[in-house]
Amino acid sequence: MSVAPLEFVRASRWYGPVIALNDVTVEIPPGVTGLLGPNGAGKSTFLKLAAGQLSPSQGEVRLLGVPAWGSPAVFHRVGFCPEVDAFWEGLTGLEFLMILLRLTGFDERECRERAEKALQEVALLDAKDRKIGGYSKGMRQRVKLAQSIAHEPELLFLDEPVSGMDPVNRRRVIDLVKRMGREGRTVVVSSHILHEVEAMTRRVLLIHNGRILAEGDVREIRDLMDEHPHTVALRARDPRSLAEAVVRLPHVLSLSFGPEGEWVTVQTAKPDEFYGAVSGAAIEAGVSEMYSPDEDLESVFKYLVAR
Amino acid sequence: MTDGTGSAARGRDTARPLSLAVAARGVFDLALQGMVWSRRSLLMAILLGLPAAVSILYRVVPKAWVPSRLGGPDLYALIAVFYYVRNFLPLAALFYATALIADEVEGRTLPYLLTRPIPRSAILLGKFAAYLTTTLTLTLPATVVTFFLLLTARGFAGLGASVPDLFRDMGVMVLALLAYGALFTLLGVLLRRPVIPGLLFLFAWELIANLPGYLPRFTITVWLRSLMTHHPAEEGLAGLFAQTLPAGMCLGVLAALIAGFLGLSLWIFSTREYVLEQ
Repeated sequence: MSVAPLEFVRASRWYGPVIALNDVTVEIPPGVTGLLGPNGAGKSTFLKLAAGQLSPSQGEVRLLGVPAWGSPAVFHRVGFCPEVDAFWEGLTGLEFLMILLRLTGFDERECRERAEKALQEVALLDAKDRKIGGYSKGMRQRVKLAQSIAHEPELLFLDEPVSGMDPVNRRRVIDLVKRMGREGRTVVVSSHILHEVEAMTRRVLLIHNGRILAEGDVREIRDLMDEHPHTVALRARDPRSLAEAVVRLPHVLSLSFGPEGEWVTVQTAKPDEFYGAVSGAAIEAGVSEMYSPDEDLESVFKYLVAR
Repeated sequence: MTDGTGSAARGRDTARPLSLAVAARGVFDLALQGMVWSRRSLLMAILLGLPAAVSILYRVVPKAWVPSRLGGPDLYALIAVFYYVRNFLPLAALFYATALIADEVEGRTLPYLLTRPIPRSAILLGKFAAYLTTTLTLTLPATVVTFFLLLTARGFAGLGASVPDLFRDMGVMVLALLAYGALFTLLGVLLRRPVIPGLLFLFAWELIANLPGYLPRFTITVWLRSLMTHHPAEEGLAGLFAQTLPAGMCLGVLAALIAGFLGLSLWIFSTREYVLEQ
């Protein structure tokens, strides 16, 4: 009988009186699984339990057949990209990866090779000798991702990995995740943005208030999502030219400028088509960040819970 | 990233965590790099190097300005016993050792270490070794400079006979950093805010070392002070009741304290969850 790469068996986790994850039973198969839920739904707790950072208050969490908590040997085969934007700021990108690779058991030569390969994967090789403290937000996201893939893990847990990335690197990371899934690795990627998850996989777990609400094909969620307007915020070097280009796109319902003048907020009825069409304009206008506030997803969850 | 799921196992034994020594060495390198270039180390370099600066001053100022009862050897004894062993080495231990894990928790970098195939104890041991290396590097050279500058202030006569005392003092300093470091490491893994209890221990509890009877044996300082050959004149309770305990007993107790505090710290850190704020 084959063992599921990741298995939750009636797992609950609470922090004092607050229940973060409630009686979750699920098996995650190889391939990419999206963990979708609004902020505070329990996604990060789910991933921390999976990555052995927390122990379940009740039930079991098993990684490759062994308990995730208290089994350090299994981390040879696991990669974890946490959500928090935290680093040893004085290290360069290359040093950061090499130190962590040494702690994964590789010799000096292989550490360097793997570190450079992983930095290449996330398009940071040119910045490898710069201190992480001087990296932009998107670069920090990418170096964090690089440390999680550098040892070529069989299981990969990514907590909001494309948050704060520009459109080009967002695309690059999405392609990387899809490729890892095709290679047979088990990748669990959390997001509160449906289209992000949808771009990586069709298999999703919907999580809300610490419970798994649904498990299955993302298209079913998409149908629900399409009933709601979708908000996208873009930070651009030239917000006016971005606005001019965006306003001409189909399905844009409204457009406004943020208080500091760098942000453009767009409401669209068709997020897929919008994301497809906005790339060219985004590059020309120097878009450095793009995100979607989660109110839209929250409303879908409210709708799902109410059903 | 293209060779499938088996590649992670290439050339490594992935059935076991890395050995304690290899893992601790890796953490040591990381921690040392962080400590050497920290503001904490800059401050400690000034504090722990101050006696060397004072010694230079002592040598360059005209002799008439220096109180006649304060000879070079006396000043050295005061510095070794009171400045280093009683006050600033424990303070250095407090500020470094309580932060060994707290810095990773506050900086939210702990998950990078906890998701490596290493025993958790290696993280703490590697960091403790880095703390010891840093503080010894800041202390011992300054002590040697201070010793030679002060003991040769009035010529080189008798210097050779005093050199063994220097080695003994340095040994006691190593023991002080180990013992206080182990205690404050324990406070660091046990408490969310360990600095205030640590300061209270150093500057309130440790004062009972000056009382008569058995109570002083519940301090660390009494065991360290007993190992020092210098006993500079003290006033008040310390002058009346200061005890000198047998060296063998002192070494045994200090070794037991260091092993006990460190062992307990390792056990707590290995079993404890760290819930980091998002």
